[in-house]
Amino acid sequence: MKKRVLSMMVMGLILVPFLFGPVSAKTLRIGSMGPLTGPYAADGNDIKNGVLAAIKVIEDEGGIPGYDTIQLFPQDTACDPKQAVASANKLINLEVVGVIGAYCSSSTIPASATLAEEDIIVITPASTHQDVTDRGLPYVFRMCGRDDAQAPAAVKFMKEALGAKTIFILDDKTTYSQGLADGVAKASEAMGIEIVGRDHVNQGDKDFSAVLTMAKTKGADIFYMSLQNHSTGSIMAIQARRMGLKAKIVSNDAMFHPNFMKVAKQAAEGIYVTYGYTDKTTDAYKKYEKIFTAKYGEIGAYATYAYDGAIALLKSIKAAGSTDPERVKAEMMKLDYDGASKHVKFEKNGDSGSSYIAFQVKNGDYVPYWTPAQGVLK
Amino acid sequence: MIHEFKKVWKPYTLGLLWVLGLLWPLLGIHPDGTLSFERTLIVWLYLLVVSFVCLILYLMNKSGHLELMKNPLSAAWSKGAVAAKVPPVWGWFLVGLMLAMLFPLFTGRYHQDVAINVLIYVCLGLGLNVVVGLAGMLDLGYIAFYGVGAYTYALFNIHYGIPFWVCLPVSGALALVVACIVGYPTLRMRGDYLAIVTLGFGEIIRIILNNWMTLTNGPNGIMGINRPGIFFPSFADGFSWEHLWLKKLWLLYYVALGLAVVTILCVHRLNFSRVGRAWESIREDETAAELMGVNTFIYKLLAYAMGGMFAGFAGAFFAARMKFVSPESFTFLESAMVLCMVVLGGMGSIPGIILGAAALIVLPELFREFELYRMLAFGSVMVLMMLFRPEGLLPAKRLGTRSEEREG
Amino acid sequence: MDYFIQQLINGITLGGIYALIALGYTMVYGVIQLINFAHGEFFAAGGYVGVILLSYFAGRGLMETHPWICLGMSFMLTMGYCAFLAMGVEKVAYLPLRNQSRLAALLSALGVSIFLSNALMLTQGVFDKPYPGELFNGGWEFGLVTISYLQVMIVTMTIVLLVSLNILVFKTKMGMAMRATAQDKTMSALVAIGSNRIISLTFAIGAGLAAAAGIMVGLYYGSVRYDMGFVPGIKAFSAAVLGGIGNITGAMLGGLIIGMVEIFGAGYISGQYKDVFAFIILIAVLYFKPTGIMGVNVDDTRV
Repeated sequence: MKKRVLSMMVMGLILVPFLFGPVSAKTLRIGSMGPLTGPYAADGNDIKNGVLAAIKVIEDEGGIPGYDTIQLFPQDTACDPKQAVASANKLINLEVVGVIGAYCSSSTIPASATLAEEDIIVITPASTHQDVTDRGLPYVFRMCGRDDAQAPAAVKFMKEALGAKTIFILDDKTTYSQGLADGVAKASEAMGIEIVGRDHVNQGDKDFSAVLTMAKTKGADIFYMSLQNHSTGSIMAIQARRMGLKAKIVSNDAMFHPNFMKVAKQAAEGIYVTYGYTDKTTDAYKKYEKIFTAKYGEIGAYATYAYDGAIALLKSIKAAGSTDPERVKAEMMKLDYDGASKHVKFEKNGDSGSSYIAFQVKNGDYVPYWTPAQGVLK
Repeated sequence: MIHEFKKVWKPYTLGLLWVLGLLWPLLGIHPDGTLSFERTLIVWLYLLVVSFVCLILYLMNKSGHLELMKNPLSAAWSKGAVAAKVPPVWGWFLVGLMLAMLFPLFTGRYHQDVAINVLIYVCLGLGLNVVVGLAGMLDLGYIAFYGVGAYTYALFNIHYGIPFWVCLPVSGALALVVACIVGYPTLRMRGDYLAIVTLGFGEIIRIILNNWMTLTNGPNGIMGINRPGIFFPSFADGFSWEHLWLKKLWLLYYVALGLAVVTILCVHRLNFSRVGRAWESIREDETAAELMGVNTFIYKLLAYAMGGMFAGFAGAFFAARMKFVSPESFTFLESAMVLCMVVLGGMGSIPGIILGAAALIVLPELFREFELYRMLAFGSVMVLMMLFRPEGLLPAKRLGTRSEEREG
Repeated sequence: MDYFIQQLINGITLGGIYALIALGYTMVYGVIQLINFAHGEFFAAGGYVGVILLSYFAGRGLMETHPWICLGMSFMLTMGYCAFLAMGVEKVAYLPLRNQSRLAALLSALGVSIFLSNALMLTQGVFDKPYPGELFNGGWEFGLVTISYLQVMIVTMTIVLLVSLNILVFKTKMGMAMRATAQDKTMSALVAIGSNRIISLTFAIGAGLAAAAGIMVGLYYGSVRYDMGFVPGIKAFSAAVLGGIGNITGAMLGGLIIGMVEIFGAGYISGQYKDVFAFIILIAVLYFKPTGIMGVNVDDTRV
């Protein structure tokens, strides 16, 4: 008998979530998506905190007319396409007006397709894969740069500033990192850099000694790491130094994270990273920095983009005076102002332009080293 | 409840305090030597409250305070159970089906989405049930066949535009073939050796999906897969068949429901057929089954292939629903998840597995409100469920006990 | 040749780490036929306790003055801590399921694993924790071959631990009791061996070894993260099965083979398929010798 009672209880427990629908109040609901659990949880939390900082800024400025509060519904995608679609549907049910997210390109692509069915605006702060905006979905925007802009910039940098003749390319087999590595390979061939090796590691690996030994034996000028996550990067940098790898290490935007240096310490010194240029002296950035660091600590790689995405969304809603996606989109296309990370102006397909420059790690800080326009900075 | 509860209650409480006491310092210390106990305290408090509630319930039950509530309940329940015996099993099945049919009328997108997930996992769970529950082979790489099914539909649809309904049997058949290829060399192993080899094959298939760029597009996955379509009779001018894509979620829900119902019926028929009995005899004692003239290898291979086929069907539907497949959906953790559904629900029991699938999909969604704490809660609930009902929520009736499993 | 020797050294290091983790799996399996999925979490917990202790010592400046004492203390305390943690987990999650089907215990182990790794994530944060490891950087250079101090240390530690474990299991009375319990619980109970105590002890020893591996991995790779236990856990489990599950020498051998195959697969063929090579070796060995390299035939107990 007891087991019947128990199974009834379980059934009851299962039915509970179906009883609570969304509660109505005069709040503006926006959503954020990102991996809050799993191996990329660090970046997902950065995105969430960036959006929260933006909400605080807008609310301090008087909020959005017609709404008492702005509420954020952060959803966990765990970097898994299935969970991303589930959280997208959850956000649709919560009747959010816009979504900031997601992180992994492989989550953003299916989730934005789902959100597009209900005409919800998506601004991705971190997914750099071309197909995010190239699918012709009308309400998908992107704050960060594109892979096909980063790869040529990185190769140009290696050729011009570092005088590279040979290159060894390594990626960690994700939608993002492999796409970028392919781009680098293609651009290297076009610019006459010889590819002496191309290899992959799997996500979750910690031991790269075999691959690094190979890279050392091949003796390339440049060791290019295209990785999804900064923690893989820091482990790889440590092992590369210990192995005595002579090549200069160049890496991608995911390594632009304070924790990368915290873990890699000395091993990070001298590593070059390509990342979207952010002028840290602008008023917009200083204002953001003050609010963010006060509450959430150090600024992560994608927090700034998430912040700018949320500001752009909320500004447009304010200007449009409604949450109708068509009108908000029209306002978003009109945006033309200096954000915290860059000058915000959306192109027709939803991209906001890329401004990749190279940084060098010096004394535990990212120092701008090279720009496509000015060459090596003195 | 736990069988020797009285005997283990005291050491159990001690053990719990032991673990929590040990976790406390680990979880609160920062590497720089500073201490912060806030987050640890929250985790700890959650655990304490849950264990306290369990303790109170247990004590009340033991001292008879719950009798007032329990007696009428159990009386009503036994009356209900007698009444439930009156209509045949298929009657209850139809009632359940009716409720499931009406489900989309009262719910929104999110609930339908969760329901579709549940139905997919019901198919997967029932497929794995054939392997683990009926034939008694521990399979830790089951999700690979799901992946094979999903990629079959995705590739055929993308490259040749073959519609879902044609691809569905093809996906199932291909998953079946792969299961036979994998099963042929592995099924001679027994017990945990089989488990690790299936895990290995599952990982190999996933890594191949991830690395074979020209065929599967690697980690980028395959995008733009078509939804299933249906021919709808149209009377606009004369009579013609109009082709409709199933774009609305609730239409997909009905496709999933249909797939689940077919799977349920198939597994039910298999379970109570000559084949099912042969499987169960292998599960109970392989040596004895062989002595009785059951060709164990063929039947084990059949179970493995059947399980693979159901996973292939579910995979094809998964690809159609997501419109996107990538290897990340087919990791070992998914296999473990499906195995959990089977064991949690009750091995070999169809209603049990439906309940198990519903519980394991809905619980993490339910805990979404806890945000970061949801996987923590999920893990502890899994342990608790196993402690309280190790044989599953609704165990199968036909499950023998072997003498060596009862030893001390 | 240099290349081969370098990869050989890499392989031995990785194999040693896998062997240490695999021992825990194999010992627990040998005694109660449970695949302890939470074992990888003890490894991660070991890494975390190690980073806490070492950072504490480094913060007090003790690492410069007495590096070996600090390291020894950290190893001792961490191994002790994880041993006690494993005993606690065993009491809570496995002991009540002793007489139930083995799958129930398996799922309980999976639940514990999810719980522990998420508890670590929630309280220690999602970022990597850096190890204070500058002290042990550097190494010897022989032409193109580099042997870092850490690699030597890991291999030495592994050998010491393995030898002492072998002495413990095969030469002491306690080891005899463990082997007796593994063979027949009822009979060993009749000769006055407390099986619960022995099982607890087995968990403790396994987790202690995993914790040692955790610190070494932390030192070697420079950081620990809350989910670090999962992948090595699976690999070590494969290693344990490859060597013949339940067999201690087999687990060491299996760990070494899996580590070598991975490194040589990555070094000579392709990094992306290195896990495939490891699993193919596993499957091939089990195909020709279905009980693993050194295993004896298991009875066909139901899963």
